[in-house]
Amino acid sequence: MVRVKSRYLLCEINVPDRSRLFLLDDRAVAAAVKAAVARMHGDYGAALCSIRFSVKYLNAHTGIVFLRFPKKCYRLLWSALPFITCIETRGQKIECFLNCLHVGGTIRTCQKFLVKYNTQQLHRMLPKCKSEEERSQVREAILKCCLTRGNKQEFGEESDSEDDEEQ
Amino acid sequence: MSVFMDLNLSFCADKSRLRSLIETAAHLGFSTVAVNYTFEPTAKKKQEIPAPMPITDLMDQLPVVQGRSRPIRVLNRLTVVMSDSSHFRPTAPEYRRFDLLAVQPTSEKLFHVACMTLDIDIICITVTEKLPFFFKRAPINGAVERGVMFEVSYAAAIRDATMRRYTIANATSLMETCKGKNVILSSAAEKPLELRGPYDITNLGLLFGLSDGDSKEAVSSTCRSAVLHAETRWTASGIIRTTKTCSVTPIQQEAPPEESDAPAAKKAKLEDE
Repeated sequence: MVRVKSRYLLCEINVPDRSRLFLLDDRAVAAAVKAAVARMHGDYGAALCSIRFSVKYLNAHTGIVFLRFPKKCYRLLWSALPFITCIETRGQKIECFLNCLHVGGTIRTCQKFLVKYNTQQLHRMLPKCKSEEERSQVREAILKCCLTRGNKQEFGEESDSEDDEEQ
Repeated sequence: MSVFMDLNLSFCADKSRLRSLIETAAHLGFSTVAVNYTFEPTAKKKQEIPAPMPITDLMDQLPVVQGRSRPIRVLNRLTVVMSDSSHFRPTAPEYRRFDLLAVQPTSEKLFHVACMTLDIDIICITVTEKLPFFFKRAPINGAVERGVMFEVSYAAAIRDATMRRYTIANATSLMETCKGKNVILSSAAEKPLELRGPYDITNLGLLFGLSDGDSKEAVSSTCRSAVLHAETRWTASGIIRTTKTCSVTPIQQEAPPEESDAPAAKKAKLEDE
């Protein structure tokens, strides 16, 4: 049995103003990536990008996206990603840049990495908390993901609690 | 694996913008950044070399690097844009205030001089216009032997399509000659949105004609050797370093007024009496 191999890029969308992340949807991200690839690599790139490229997951709270590229040409397509400066959605331009965090062969490995990464972010958030209430919430979230690391269901909860902090 | 470095963040007088630049760099996982002061001497009038802003002025607490528990390290760097050989004064005391020293030559002759004789750490490759000369083997080999690095910055490529062409063209012609050795990739970012993550830059090296290993080294270990090269520049064979302590003594004097001036032997005598 041979399966069709892909590469999943786990990217973080960095924006100056976090509240604008909610405007994003996966179609807008896909269009931005396709436009960047076409701009950088011309028709050849656009052709490669039309084969198996898709946006697999988008978390509008934390600004995390999973991009799927064919394994054969993912490096070429990836080299166009740094040239994305804005994403157009619903008639608005969101200035942003994509920062690749992890490259994985399956969604599963990417998800494992993301759980680890989000836990790390909680730890980074703790010293920055301003009020006591926030602090206790973050502490609780850290504790929760320490106890149930690796459990898929808890992962959803954990990332939710992180989002509460960021607003 | 070595840590990631970005040796070129453009200085701007706006403190909050510089602060957010450093914060973004820490978020992206850069352990060391250098704030770049550009100095462009012109023939008409004499200009002052800019003095670096002490980093303690800028922010009280440096942000912690992503994935590490240490705060980010911020260096100062001076780039002299050379259009004449007299623009670089090797003994200028102003240069000593900077951690890193870079030169951007604008002609072939100056490029040769920069590679072979000048006591610097980094040679910037122009990315905003077409290169007026070809790279030759001899000066580049000389620079590689002396441990001087070549720098390609990518922020201009992100800003504009024409610049992108120049950047890629100049970078590729450099890589052809130096075969990926002693090359560093840095941002030259003016805004936080022009910074990119270390893995993205590594992959960007592919466009510039670097191999996988070389482009990874271009953001990590080659940068480290540039910083170490800069440190050895002010030392005797990299072993002894002299610094003026006059700024330290007044603080010591404040606490115990008389004793600190006297050497240890005399101090003991005073106590005996």
